[in-house]
Amino acid sequence: MRLTRTAADRDQREWPSGGEIARLAVTLAVATLLQTTVAPNIRILGANPDFALIIVVCVALLKGAEIGAVFGFLTGTFVAIALMEPLGLSAFVFVLIGFLAGRYAETADLSAGFAPLVSVFAATLLANVLLAMAQYLLAREVPLGFFLGRVLVPSLILNTLLAAPLYLVVRLWLRGAGDLRVARAR
Amino acid sequence: MAVLLLLCVAMLTLYFRESDSGAVHAVQGGVLRVVAPLQNGTARATKPFRDAWNWTGDLFGAKSENAKLQKELEQLRAGLARELTTQDENDQMRLMLDMQRDQIYPDGVRLVTARVVAHSSTAWYSSTVTIDVGSGSGVQVYDPVVNGAGLVGRVAQTYATTSQVTLITDQQSFVDAMVQPDGAQGIVSGSVTGDVTLEYVDKNERLEVGQYVVTSGRLGSIFVRGIPIGQIASIGVQDVELYQSISLDPFVDFRKLDLVQVVTR
Repeated sequence: MRLTRTAADRDQREWPSGGEIARLAVTLAVATLLQTTVAPNIRILGANPDFALIIVVCVALLKGAEIGAVFGFLTGTFVAIALMEPLGLSAFVFVLIGFLAGRYAETADLSAGFAPLVSVFAATLLANVLLAMAQYLLAREVPLGFFLGRVLVPSLILNTLLAAPLYLVVRLWLRGAGDLRVARAR
Repeated sequence: MAVLLLLCVAMLTLYFRESDSGAVHAVQGGVLRVVAPLQNGTARATKPFRDAWNWTGDLFGAKSENAKLQKELEQLRAGLARELTTQDENDQMRLMLDMQRDQIYPDGVRLVTARVVAHSSTAWYSSTVTIDVGSGSGVQVYDPVVNGAGLVGRVAQTYATTSQVTLITDQQSFVDAMVQPDGAQGIVSGSVTGDVTLEYVDKNERLEVGQYVVTSGRLGSIFVRGIPIGQIASIGVQDVELYQSISLDPFVDFRKLDLVQVVTR
């Protein structure tokens, strides 16, 4: 996977149209609402789903690194504001995840159906490690057993399970039903 | 991406370096003022679903109460979710009124009723919630927060129309407490795992599982005396330790927080 853009890549860059921006804005609002109002009340396998993270990965896979990073920044900022969490922490993590997932989509073959699952799994791992490191830097306790058993493993399983259905919904919303029909026909 | 990451680092640095009245907090408060009614509306709209979800969770955990749950299932099926929600709120309010009638709170104390509108799903921030009253309603930082069951936590941050509450399960929460009826003193503290313990209780104090723990209200404590916190769940005494190791079962069900009251002075 290349992490840098070539001149040819830059020339080919397409900025989203007004319609696409509107769809992304709706996706952002839905991601924030799901994360702040629904996710805290759903507990499966001992973990809460991270809708915001999964949707950031889905958008990045579908729209590329730049849009993924900006979408991640906005999602992280809105979630932090709504939940009164430290401003900038979630945004930092989601920018990295949006960018890396986007670069993965731009440089790897996504025709295999497991790409969203792999991306969400890796993104959950990265996000949890970064958030645990941030807690450590903030002089809060981070017991390894708690982190592995109660945070990391349950969220890895849950987020990966949710990745496929959410990816389908986001893809349908951002690209329309025609795109799915084309993909199936291939 | 580098610009966005730098922006994030700048926001983080400002957030932790400035005081609660600083620029970044002010922006967050300003945005919250706009977002809070939306959060409140969403919290109300999703409450029947949350209740149904919690109810479903309880269903799996209480097979022995099958007959009772079947009855409730029928009620839910009949579309009574909204009515149940209202009834639930009434019950919560009644419990809070009972606490007032029991004269737990001293004269001059005012109770501001609030609704929990948001709480984080991240394990690291799961012990803080947002309520829909703020400095505009007289709420101040460090005000205790209670519900009908007992002590919920304390106000950590206030904005005009919202406040952030640190629950007693938070690892940075410390409450001056005493055991009833013996009066043994200690500090109730939370942990990252959400477990609540009673610390610094002298090894020679004779305590029993099931005894009640309430706020002590000693001089300097931010909590008024007598707010129920929980029951002793287990006691461990080791020869080499100066203090007993006591775990508590909090009276408040933090999973189902909805209506609370802020104790303002």
